[in-house]
Amino acid sequence: MSALSKTAAVIVTFNRSAKLMKVLDALDGQTRRPDVILVVDNASTDDTQALVEARARDDLSIRYLRLPQNIGGAGGFHEGLKVAYGLGAHYFWVSDDDAYPLPDAIERLVDAITAFEARHEWRPSFACSRVEWIDGTLCEMNTPRPVWDWPRFLHPEAAWALVDSASFVSILIPRWAVEKHGLPIADYFIWFDDAEYTRRLSRSYPGIFCPESRVIHDTPDNRGVNFALVDEKSLWKFKYGARNEASWRRREAGLMGVLAYAYGVHLQMKGGNVPWKLRQKIFQAIARGMTFRPKVVSV
Amino acid sequence: MTSTTALAPVGEDIAEHIQREISEIVSIYSRLYPTQRLNFILYEGKDPVWGEPSVTEGPFTFQPQHMNAQFLGQFERPGAHPGAPGVTIRLSIPRKPLPGEIKQMDAPWAPIRRLRAVHRLAPLVYERIRYQAEMLRKRRSVKRHPRVSLLRGDGSSLLAPPRPPESDKRPAILIGMHWLEVGGAEKLGFDTIRWAQQAGLRVFVAAGVPSIQRLAGKLPDSADVTFLRLDRYLPPDLWPRYVEQLALAENIRLIHIHHCRPLYESLPQIRANLPWVQVIDSTHIVEYADGGFPRSSGVWSNFIDIHHVISKELVDYYREHFHVIGKVRLGRMLDRAEHPKGLPELNMQPGKKRLQVAFVGRLYYQKRPVVVAEAFRALSAWARRNDVELTGKIVGEGPFLDTVRGLLRRYGLADRVALLPANAPVPEILRQSDILLLPSNNEGLALVCYEAVEQGCIPISTDVGSQAEIVPPDLLVPLEPQACVKGIVAAVDRLWRDAAFLSRQREALVRSWTDLTRDPTAEEILMPLYQQAAAGLQE
Repeated sequence: MSALSKTAAVIVTFNRSAKLMKVLDALDGQTRRPDVILVVDNASTDDTQALVEARARDDLSIRYLRLPQNIGGAGGFHEGLKVAYGLGAHYFWVSDDDAYPLPDAIERLVDAITAFEARHEWRPSFACSRVEWIDGTLCEMNTPRPVWDWPRFLHPEAAWALVDSASFVSILIPRWAVEKHGLPIADYFIWFDDAEYTRRLSRSYPGIFCPESRVIHDTPDNRGVNFALVDEKSLWKFKYGARNEASWRRREAGLMGVLAYAYGVHLQMKGGNVPWKLRQKIFQAIARGMTFRPKVVSV
Repeated sequence: MTSTTALAPVGEDIAEHIQREISEIVSIYSRLYPTQRLNFILYEGKDPVWGEPSVTEGPFTFQPQHMNAQFLGQFERPGAHPGAPGVTIRLSIPRKPLPGEIKQMDAPWAPIRRLRAVHRLAPLVYERIRYQAEMLRKRRSVKRHPRVSLLRGDGSSLLAPPRPPESDKRPAILIGMHWLEVGGAEKLGFDTIRWAQQAGLRVFVAAGVPSIQRLAGKLPDSADVTFLRLDRYLPPDLWPRYVEQLALAENIRLIHIHHCRPLYESLPQIRANLPWVQVIDSTHIVEYADGGFPRSSGVWSNFIDIHHVISKELVDYYREHFHVIGKVRLGRMLDRAEHPKGLPELNMQPGKKRLQVAFVGRLYYQKRPVVVAEAFRALSAWARRNDVELTGKIVGEGPFLDTVRGLLRRYGLADRVALLPANAPVPEILRQSDILLLPSNNEGLALVCYEAVEQGCIPISTDVGSQAEIVPPDLLVPLEPQACVKGIVAAVDRLWRDAAFLSRQREALVRSWTDLTRDPTAEEILMPLYQQAAAGLQE
């Protein structure tokens, strides 16, 4: 347990100024407002810079990191966590520019992580919120992955399940975890950066899922990450996802891990009747992942 | 205090000089070590600016080198009580500067040995090599000099931060200058001393760089203004403790840093022990090699409350590199009282048969005096071709003076281009001039451009720093020396030939000047902070 609890919010944004302003409004309304709000702008071409600057002129807690080019969500979270770490924060609340935390979302996460440490002695490596879609249902793409003994410390009054993978949508990461495990992998560009990172953090101890902390994820639709859904429009993202996860499986489980993954992807695409042309591109991305070995950067 | 013991009989002047310096030294170290027993060992300095101080806390053992040929003697200031720990301070008393040193401390500039022949044969080629070296340094500087702010922990509410002691003294400000010599940052420094006084603050001034401090005599002659000779007598590593003692004893509420490195390095001590003291810094110009003071200031940003900057380029610099926006305040180095209501007509007319070209600036590499001389040479050739009588005035002093004089003589321009001292009447010269040349290697936002525009003189400048805020795009020339000279000639030629172009440039100058005058001035930004500090309030 630490007596220090400076909290930095890290929001990565790209060309979604209106949604970003709603996120900043939601942060303003927090019962536990972050001490620092770092907006990481992936070289937006809309009015993001002007709007953030206008707010930051009156609000000293807002910091604005404009990246020279769009380096994807992964690059944005990497840079953002690095800068927030340099600002001396003890907790990093990491989220997207289209996720609006309910007023007590951050307070609940901080309370949960500190209470868990106090009660059980183990230090969760992160705490993540229940992410809901705009209609109040669970947001499919932000479903955390539980570990085998997920209910070990789960009680009716503190329903915290142990999880080892979560998305960068309202996740609270303690400073020690970043210090020990480094930063998210910037080279992933997009997709699987959050899964890889939280699984890396979980090597120390799993994170906790805190359903009492809620956040609304304002995405166009509520779809999960399933290769059955690959189409021409979403192919580019799935390709990044396939390459990144294959690379991670190669690192963690060797060739057999990649083959098992490829087989799973194959079954999903077959189930979704994905056209062969697209399937071929996904398999090419998996093959690229075999030789893709991005470095883990420490702080 | 016991008297000095080993002074041989000396002239009255020297004795007076030494006694005056001794009282300065005692005052500094008594502040730093109020209760300790101080043993001062003095030497006669060979240097006119630096006292080479060395401090030993605890017992001191004399070695042969401590009693060298320069040894003046020693004296003691007793401690607060008989058992007070001892501190030994060894320092030299700088000699008085020679008249030549008062005029110019830097040796005349000379090209580096291996490239001397290149400079002799083709000065512009030498400049190009230097420019390329400079650009290489610029490219490497990001890696070598990271733009990352130092982390500052805020502490826990469990442990209350120190609180200001009760003081019956009027609030004071410590203004840290780079040095008290001629320069843009120093001009602002002197302005802030005046504003702080007007706001009702007592003012302590210190300089970070030892020098003759030629402008020390221009400090207001007031009991409320004290110049501390820390630059001469205090090792940089002891500044933090000194500043803390000074702030506690003198009720310092505000610290304003103008390019003063030891004060930046005192910030951890200030933030830890004097959290109520507000810290402002002012920055002017981003240097290629290491980012200069804006980079230092950004590195210390978490220890600084307000960054005052003079140009939009610097607003962007802090945002891009250090991600701060709210505590960066733009305040132009302009004086509203001195502004004309509108701009006069341009002195230059199309087809004019007599043109005067001016350069105003210190003759240091930053202003590229060699490129100035080469530009005069090229303009002179242009004038001959077009049957124009061209004259020039170069106002400024510095290590490049002899080089510029030599080049003008070599190019047969000595009778047409006058070299004038730094105290020449600049507004009058600009009023008589058609063109102002500013081929600087680097600039913040050159004040002389404002002055030129207000006198109807057209500035032609390299596209560096924030010059684009005052100089229209058509009058900005490339930094590369040869292209710079060509660009200057092309711009003059077009201004001289093309009446519509000339008229467009005037409109653009009026527009930029009007935009600049709309921004707040440094005084408008800083004065309220000074007034709050004087009233015992903090922002």
